[in-house]
This record gives sequence, C-alpha cells and structure tokens, in this order.
Amino acid sequence: MDTITYVGEHLWPGKLGNTFITLSFVASLLAAVSYFIGIRYKDESWRKLGRNAFYVHGLAVLGIIFTMFYMIVNHMFEYQYVWQHSSKALPVRYMLSCFWEGQEGSFLLWTFWHVILGLILIRKTGNWENSVMGVVSTVQVFLASMILGIYLGDFHLGSNPFVLLREHPEYRNLPFVQIPDYLKNLDGQGLNPLLQNYWMTIHPPILFLGFAATLVPFAYACGGLIERRYSEWVKPALPWTFFGIMILGTGILMGGAWAYEALSFGGFWAWDPVENASLVPWIILVAAGHLMLIFNNRKRSLKSTMILSFLSFILVLYSTFLTRSGILGDTSVHAFTDLGMSGQLLIYLLFFLVAPFVVFFIRYKDIPAEKDEDALNSREFWIFIASLVLIISAFQVTFTTSIPVINKIFGTSLAPPTEAVQHFNRWQTPLAVIICILIAVTQYFKYKSTPTAEFSKKIRRPLIFAILASIAIAFLMEITELFHILLLFSSLFAAAANTDYIFKVQGGKLKKAGSSVAHVGFALIMLGALISMSKSTVISQNRSTVDLSQLGKDFSNNENIMLYRGDTVPMGDYYVTYKDEEEKGIDHYFEIEYLEKKGETYTPAFSLHPLVQDNPRMGLLAEPSTRHQIHRDIYSHVTYAPVKKKGDETTTKTMTMKQGDTVFVSTARLIFERIEQETDRERFHLKDSDIAVSAVIHVTDMKGETTTAKPVYSIRGSYIIPEPAELPEYGMKLNFTAIDTETGKITLELTEQVKQKDFIVMRAIVFPWINVLWIGSILMMIGSILAILERRKKSSASASS
Amino acid sequence: MKKLHLILIILLASGIGVIMSTLADSSTYSTFTAAAEEPEEVVHVVGTLAPGKPLEYDPEVNANLFSFYMLDKDGQEKKVLFTGTKPQDFERSEQIVITGKCSGSDFVASKILMKCPSKYNNGQTVEISADSNKEG
Repeated sequence: MDTITYVGEHLWPGKLGNTFITLSFVASLLAAVSYFIGIRYKDESWRKLGRNAFYVHGLAVLGIIFTMFYMIVNHMFEYQYVWQHSSKALPVRYMLSCFWEGQEGSFLLWTFWHVILGLILIRKTGNWENSVMGVVSTVQVFLASMILGIYLGDFHLGSNPFVLLREHPEYRNLPFVQIPDYLKNLDGQGLNPLLQNYWMTIHPPILFLGFAATLVPFAYACGGLIERRYSEWVKPALPWTFFGIMILGTGILMGGAWAYEALSFGGFWAWDPVENASLVPWIILVAAGHLMLIFNNRKRSLKSTMILSFLSFILVLYSTFLTRSGILGDTSVHAFTDLGMSGQLLIYLLFFLVAPFVVFFIRYKDIPAEKDEDALNSREFWIFIASLVLIISAFQVTFTTSIPVINKIFGTSLAPPTEAVQHFNRWQTPLAVIICILIAVTQYFKYKSTPTAEFSKKIRRPLIFAILASIAIAFLMEITELFHILLLFSSLFAAAANTDYIFKVQGGKLKKAGSSVAHVGFALIMLGALISMSKSTVISQNRSTVDLSQLGKDFSNNENIMLYRGDTVPMGDYYVTYKDEEEKGIDHYFEIEYLEKKGETYTPAFSLHPLVQDNPRMGLLAEPSTRHQIHRDIYSHVTYAPVKKKGDETTTKTMTMKQGDTVFVSTARLIFERIEQETDRERFHLKDSDIAVSAVIHVTDMKGETTTAKPVYSIRGSYIIPEPAELPEYGMKLNFTAIDTETGKITLELTEQVKQKDFIVMRAIVFPWINVLWIGSILMMIGSILAILERRKKSSASASS
Repeated sequence: MKKLHLILIILLASGIGVIMSTLADSSTYSTFTAAAEEPEEVVHVVGTLAPGKPLEYDPEVNANLFSFYMLDKDGQEKKVLFTGTKPQDFERSEQIVITGKCSGSDFVASKILMKCPSKYNNGQTVEISADSNKEG
C-alpha cells in the first residue's frame, strides 16, 4: 500500500498525550515501588521519592486531560476519541460530558479523582503515607495501564484515547480516511443527544468521586495490615469512609433522579444491573463505616471492619468489570460495550481481591480480637447486626446481578428473573424493615450496656407515634400488603425515633445531630420509595374495544392510551388533550394539556411536554415530562408516535383532465375550469417569444373553502418550462406538465402531502408523595456532611492532645 | 450456644436462601420448540426478526398490542404478540430477546429487549428495552 501524505493533521497533541500516558504509568509504578520500599526501610528518602513520583504522576494525568480537552475544543477529528464523542456543533457546555462519554475518558475521570484524593492524603496521612500512598499508587498503575494502548502480540493492554481515526482498528478501513485531505470536511459523530443534558455533566463526576472515595478506607485497611498496625488505621479512615458514603450515595440517588426525570424507566429505580453495580459498594461501605464506629468506641469487630473496608473497593472493581467487560450482554440496557479489555479488568479485579485477603489470612492470628461477647443491650451488638443485614442485602443484589457471570463460569444458560423488580423487592423489603427498626432503636442503646428501664422509657414516644401514624396512613392510602405495612411502620419509627433523639437526647444541637439527620433522611427515602412505588397508578387506561384478557390474564396490559390530536379523554382526576406537536431539531415535543373539570367547564390545569427524539445514533427515544406537585408527581411519557420522516411525506399522481372535469383527491375536489393565456409575463420571467398558458383549477377542500390555482405551462423554443402552483394551506402542489392541443386535454401532476395520522400513544403515571424521597435524600446528604465535620473536629482534637 | 454461632447460622441460611430464590426466580434462555412444550413456563427467547413478514401495530385498534414474526436460534418461526406499544425503530433491530410464554400457536411476550446496529459502528450495538409489565 502506498503511503498517503495526509493534509492538515495535528500530530503533536497525540504525541504529547502519549508521552503523558507513558509518564503517568511509569511515575505511578515508581511511586508504588518507592513507597513500599519506604515501609520496610524507614528511610525518609524513599518516601520523598515516592511522593515526588506521585506528583509527577498527578501532573501527567492532568496533562492527559488537558491535551484531550485541547483536542476536543479544537475539533481535532483526526483523533478517534474526538471524532466519536464530539462534533463541531456541540455546545461548549457539553464538552465536559463528551470527555467522559467514552470508556477511556471515564477511566481518566476515575484516575483524576484518585490523584486529587492522593494529593490530599499525602498532606493528611502523616506516618501512614508510605503504606496508604503505596496502595493508592498501585491502584494508579493498574488504572494508567487501562489507557496505555500497547499491543503485546494478540493481547492489547488498555485502550488509548490518542489513537488517530485512520489508525484505529475499527475505522482504518473507512473509505474516507484513504483520502489525503479527509479532514477538510470531516465532522465528528457528536455527543449522543440522549446525554446532552445537565445530568450527564454532574452525575458522572460525583459517582466517580464516590467510587474513588472507597479507595481510601481500602488503602488504610491494607496499610494497617502491611505495617502490622492493626488497630490504628481505623481512626484516620473513618471520616473518609463517611465522606465516601455521602458522595457515593448522592451519586446513586442522582442517577435515580436522572432515570426518573429524563429516561423512560417509569420510576427512579429499576434494579438494572448497572444501578445495582453502584449500589452494592455503597451498602458495604455503609456497613464498613458503622463497624469502624464500633471499633473506635469499643475496640471490637476489627476483622469484620477490615474485611468490609477491603470489599467496598473490590466491589467497585467488580462493578467496573461487570459494566465494561461486555459480560452483562443481554441483561442491561446501559452497560458499556466491550473494548476487548475484559481480561485486563479481570486481572485487575483478582489482584486486588487476592492480595489483601492472602495477607489477611496469613496474619489472621495477629489481628486483635475480643474475647467476650457483645451484650444484647449494647449499641455495638445492634450495629453489628445491622451490618450483617446490610451484607445479606448486598449479597442478594450481587448474586442476582451476577447471573451472566455464573453462566460464564458454569456454562449454564440462566436468564435473569422475569419479574426482576418483584424478585429484588421480595428480599430487599423485609431487609429494609429490619434496617429501619435497627436505625430507630440503636441510637437509644449505649455502648457496653443499657439500663432497660431507661431504654424503654425513651423509645416509647416514637414507637407509639409510629404505630398510630402507620395505621392512619395505611388506612388512608389503602396499603394492604403485609410487608408494605411493616416497612411503612418501621420507616416512620426510624424517622420519629431519630427526630426525637435530636431534640430529647442531644438537646437539638445541630452540630451533634449529623448521624440522626442522616438516619431520618434514609428512613424518609424508604418511606417515599414505598409510597410512591407501591401506590403509583397508571392513569392512562386503555379503553379500546379489543379485550386483552384473551391473551391470558398474566399479560393483560392496558397502560398505554392512544390520543388523536384534539381528543380529550378522562385520565384519573383529569381530562387530557393532545394539543400540538412542535419540532425543535431532532426533538419532537408533544403538548399534552391536563384539564380540570369544575362544574360543567374544563379549565386547563397544566401542560406537559414529553418528547420523542429522532436520535441519529440510537433511533427514536422518548423523554418523559413530569408535573411536580407537593403531594404527587404526574408523569407523562409518549410511548409511540408516528414521527414524520422527512423526504417521504408526499405522494404524486398524474391526472388527465378536460375542461369541466371534476377530480376528487384525498382532501379536496378539483374542477378544471378553463385554459387562460398567461399575461403576467414579469412574474414568471417570460420572454416575448415564449408561449405561456395557465390552467384555472378550482380547489374546494373538505370544509367547503374554495380557492383558485393557476399552474403555468410555457414553451420557450423547444423547451417546456412548467411553473407549478403551490397551495401550502391545502398541502398540495399542482404542476401543469402537458397539453394536448387537439383534444384540449391537459395533464396535471398533483403532489400531495400525505396527511400523517396525527396521534400519539402515551402512558401517564401518578407517583404519590415522591417528594418525601427527595427530601430524605437531601437530609441524608446534609446529615452526613454534619457528621463528617464533627468527626473531623473530634479526630483533629484528639490528634493534637 | 454462643451468639456468634447463632448469627453465623442465620447468615449462612440467608445466603443459601438468596441462592435458592435466585435460581428459582431465574428463567432460562430457550427456543420456541422448548417453549411450546412447557406452555406454563416463562422463558427468554433470543432470535431475529423474520424477514419479509408483517409487523402489525395499529394504535387506532389497540395501542397495547403489537405483533411480529420472529426466528429463534434454531430458525423456527413464530408469531409473537407483545402486550405494549411497538418499540420505536423495531424494524432496525438485529437481535431480539423476548420474555414470555407460548399461548396456542403464538408466543405472548411481556418484555422485549432489542439490539440495533449503530449507524457508524459495525461492532457496536445499542440496546433498547420495552417493558410492558412494570408494577412497582
């Protein structure tokens, strides 16, 4: 093959970027080695070398990121990553999103957060720096290898974001990259329009910061094990763990909010494998954080604390493996596609799974353990039980989500549960009941032991409140299922007991109330989820004449309703009209008006604008629109709409008519009145020698409105120049193409716009009291922040004393 | 017996419970022939759209019924009734996974997961799911 000299390519950013990648990999390796040597030989110079190497690594990672931004901002489509994820027309505010849309970018985002956390840890860890930063640097070696893009025979190590489009294995055979100046007119594929919203800008950084935060307790636990400082690592790791709980929890809830607001799940949580993959590390991190609290106060449960601190980070790696190796395949709607890195990801996972646990079991006997048992009336006992419940919950979610992995290992062909939501809820609802009850009572237990009389006196008020309130709510909202009633009671109990605790026990001091506020928040999330999901009602009931029950009762489904434009149908408390369709670029907005009936008149209450997006990459996608009220949300989603495709919306037919003939076409009646000599020569740019006649056609539409169309037929020399008559309000065009001078018959070509049947099929759901869930989310976040601040103050106070 | 032992037994029991319930709830990937033999069992069938056969969806008659013909992995063809709206761009699908069971000569599906070839990327697929039975 001839070598082509390409025109206009910028090769230096790629070279620079690759230099940074190599540098970041080598520097992290050097940092890891130096730090680990530094543990053994208590020589300051190793630590300094490790630290400087980590700084270089950090700078190199920033260099990679800046280079990629430079390429994206300057539209350097010669690079595959830029070509695939951005385009010239992409607004600047989405440039961040296209940076992390692809796998390489999201790995970099993750790496970036590790760098930031590492830089803080270098300042804060004190005499833990060697082991903690050694572990962080080792993790960075693996992450940096994910974007190396080196081929070792058939095995390729990492996927490089600086590959040229014309050299990328998948695209190098595209015809246009064989042209030397292919760049001249090249535009990128653009950011998937589905992701062009503010969620995509804020959700990934927060979620990845949450993932990154699980590294800190992991690194401290490893450090404690490596340095044989088994019980010292918990204290410094504790605030970081709660920081991780707060950020990762926020990230997960934000994902739920995104799904609810902008995607068409019909809810905020669907137990999708990708959602589960981020939930499980959080659950384990919560368990780890609470065991750390026990250890901090009572020096107990150290081994469990250690195991859970390992597991949270390992589960983040496992979730990375699940979502990026392509193994989820048929089971998830939004896993990443396989970049051929599943082997590498598996090695990564196994390394960090095996290494800490091997050391853990070798040194098992050295790790201090308590001799006696926890008392039943002690706080530590019930926190420990709660952690076990969380582990069961995490195990259940992980096991079902791992069905594709089980198939791979055992060669089975299991499919995920058909009713996934019911399957998960059957386990998670009772577990949530237990957790809520434990959240309610555990604060009232003291460490070591609690006088029974004192405990029962304090718990009485919230208990009575919860019983009465849950009976009232269950009665009013017709909640009948046993476990729903139990969750209703236990979440109210948890919320009431913790509120009472803030005011009765802690004297309303906000600074101290962090954990109680967070617990109230969690209880409200459970309460809001319970009510909004179990009592959600589909108000778009099918009223068609076809009886669906003939298909079998299991499949009866009447959640979608068809509306013609202008139709008004009753839905729940409202009457609903499909008013209009508006096109904005690739988005088709449908105006759905909700009317309230007051007496005999209908007054508009509000309008919703769900949209269908004609996505060039993914086909037609629907985005719901939701009316938020204080006590409920009304969610509307267009499930089917005959979205017009441009170019195929007209039909043409040819007619031959003689004077006085009448022809009926689909929307009008045409009468051929007469032939006229065309005199308006200027209008049709006619020369003196031209012959021009026009046909006078009376057009009458269905409403009886009449207009006159005059298509012109002119002859210039031997050319025939027809001048069609356009009737846009009738959606037609008449072209006078021939005239038979002997018979006086004319030939007309009629182009008619095909009247699209103007209807939509929509689904509308009412979610009652979903705001309780969002209020709970915010409270949980605020409470966690308060608790971290208080905890930091305590630990810095004890460090200085 | 120590409390710890009791706790371990409960933990172990619930672990086994999780595994058993997952295996009990999980369905299997099947074919039309196997599904017809076990009409009561809900299965997943993987296949492709039968070429040249009609896709019927007329919201004016019934907005919640969509039918098409599918070839399973053995190449056997069956009419599929889906109790929901026609997934957008269904024609473009290159692989379909349906969940449901046989009913008479038809297959009644409650869930469709489809993969569409993405426009510029031969290797990549996009998955779109349509789920008709979403109950909280």
